[in-house]
Amino acid sequence: MSIMQYNGSAIVAMAGKGCVAIAADKRLGQRALTVDTEFQKVFPITDRTYIGLPGLATDVKTLYDRFRMRVNLYKHNEERTIEPKTFSHLVSHMLYERRFGPYFVEPVVAGLDKNDEPYICGMDLIGCINFAKDFIVGGTASDNLYGMCESLWEPELGPEDLFETISQALLNAVDRDALSGWGAVVHIITPEGVITRDLKGRMD
Amino acid sequence: MDAQFAISGRDFVISVTDKGVARSIVKMKHNEDKTWQLSSHTLMSVSGEAGDTANFSEYIQGNVRLYSMRNSQDLSPSELANFIRGELAAALRSRSPSQVNLLVAGYDKGKDEAALYWIDYLSAMAKVPFAAHGYCGYFLYSVMDREYTPEITLEEAKALIKKCFEVLKTRFIVDFANYTIKVVDRNGTHEIRQDEL
Amino acid sequence: MAPLTEPSAGFKFDNVKRNQLLGDKGYKLPTATKTGTTIVGLIFKDGLILGADTRATAGPIVADKNCEKIHYLAPNMYCCGAGTAADTEFTTNMISSQLALHSLNTGREVRVVAAMTMLKQYLYKYHGHVGAALVLGGYDVTGPHLFTIYPHGSTDKLPYVTMGSGSLAAMSVFESRWRPGMSREEGIEVVKDAIEAGIFNDLGSGSNVDVCVITKGNAEYLRNYSTPNERVQKEQSYRFTPGTTEFYAPRVARQAQEPAEMDTSA
Repeated sequence: MSIMQYNGSAIVAMAGKGCVAIAADKRLGQRALTVDTEFQKVFPITDRTYIGLPGLATDVKTLYDRFRMRVNLYKHNEERTIEPKTFSHLVSHMLYERRFGPYFVEPVVAGLDKNDEPYICGMDLIGCINFAKDFIVGGTASDNLYGMCESLWEPELGPEDLFETISQALLNAVDRDALSGWGAVVHIITPEGVITRDLKGRMD
Repeated sequence: MDAQFAISGRDFVISVTDKGVARSIVKMKHNEDKTWQLSSHTLMSVSGEAGDTANFSEYIQGNVRLYSMRNSQDLSPSELANFIRGELAAALRSRSPSQVNLLVAGYDKGKDEAALYWIDYLSAMAKVPFAAHGYCGYFLYSVMDREYTPEITLEEAKALIKKCFEVLKTRFIVDFANYTIKVVDRNGTHEIRQDEL
Repeated sequence: MAPLTEPSAGFKFDNVKRNQLLGDKGYKLPTATKTGTTIVGLIFKDGLILGADTRATAGPIVADKNCEKIHYLAPNMYCCGAGTAADTEFTTNMISSQLALHSLNTGREVRVVAAMTMLKQYLYKYHGHVGAALVLGGYDVTGPHLFTIYPHGSTDKLPYVTMGSGSLAAMSVFESRWRPGMSREEGIEVVKDAIEAGIFNDLGSGSNVDVCVITKGNAEYLRNYSTPNERVQKEQSYRFTPGTTEFYAPRVARQAQEPAEMDTSA
């Protein structure tokens, strides 16, 4: 078993028309044993930038704490809010710094930039950024998510359509993955604000 | 092979640990308290590699008490759990990694609610309604999952713990003779005997 | 408690012990995104042309269908990367900033050999652990230069080169069609065909062709010069009717856009 599968996770981000969405499952496991069904894997960085951290749970927590510190320092130093692209490069550099002893996470970033343009990107565990125009997936269900997103995603989806598409992509992907699932949360980021919804999912 | 679990209600947490210490096939002790008092309203139960458990717990207890003395204020359960997690994560990266599983049970006087944190030896942390570590988790999670409600009362929780003992007695290969049972609530921490359940 | 210090430069190794511990416990440690790649370069009459495919892979999965493998180094220099994706990205980025400082300090355009030497010395230092295989091309006062740089730090200087998993397919095109003194149009065509040979015959390479033409005093980056694998219009839409997905009463219907307080909670 890979260390990336120890706790189990599934995270997906999608770009829409003037909005982005990021969704994650809620399971925390120890291999086959489920320990928590309310585990947070997606974190707000600013009002309109979110990061999802699929991978080893200990590193999820460690990294989020460090990101939060660096983003707070950025706010102090620059007296402005960090942009999703800037934040992604911050994350990327923090991961590549540990090129030879990495954290076991594959971050997914979703946000709107200062011009309300959608921004999503993904990274491997040593910080190689994958800029995508459509969708980004990560976690133990990532193969399933690739299949779901490749067929369900289409360009120019509005917030409500994007919610349905990302939710169905995630729910159906985790139903074919034993290590993720047990409820899910979706954040839809729009210029007017963020809509957060807890999905009804299979609990098996 | 320790028994270590806990159940949290709205305003209390019950922590349970077994009292046995074994080396190889020999029982060394049958009256060990595996919980550590961190402040008047916080308790930490510990299992894992012998030696690591005491070493790490003493370090945490010392530093937490030092903080309380220096600042004339106790850390809240969430602050404590985050501190402990950070120290365990650092220890894991040192030349002599501590391998310990922790449950932090506390009563947050500021928020007026109980809190239970599950921390494993990799220092993954989760705030949970009920928790267990090690092999007994394979038996007890199913029982607690079935019986637990967020509105659970102290009496109901005690009854649930009795059921947990029953399951361990009938299905688990190890016979845990004695348990340390401690309740954390707004009045602080107090131990209850097994026959008081 | 550890003080909040800004990180120092260079790699950090604090996770290594922990990761070894996990490895010893029998957990497989994951590998990074690799670019199974076709990258090429050739010299023509007025300068040189670089080419690359745009597929990034993570094991058997296509991680990125349209990534950029031709990296900017300096106004007169570009560099194609193959191998571990993060290594090619960060190595070229770092050398690029060093080159910028160098040209600012000397007040001249940097020479390609300088970039080549900095890259090979950096890669040699890490004995191949920084897995970047590069094709470096540039035009300086001494004319056009084309180098290949291997992860261990060795270099070649040749009139036409290929690298990556699709290098054999691409080289077969070069070996049959490259000749000295080609025109710009001929050169681009040969580069395009070489990359397409990789795209269609090597599983690690795919999608589109990126081209970069560097001549005296000019560099032209032709992103997605050829797109032989355009996705056709989907025949059917899988758009769901609103209300398909069941969810609990929205946790936060719509967060008001107030300047967020700094989160410093435990």
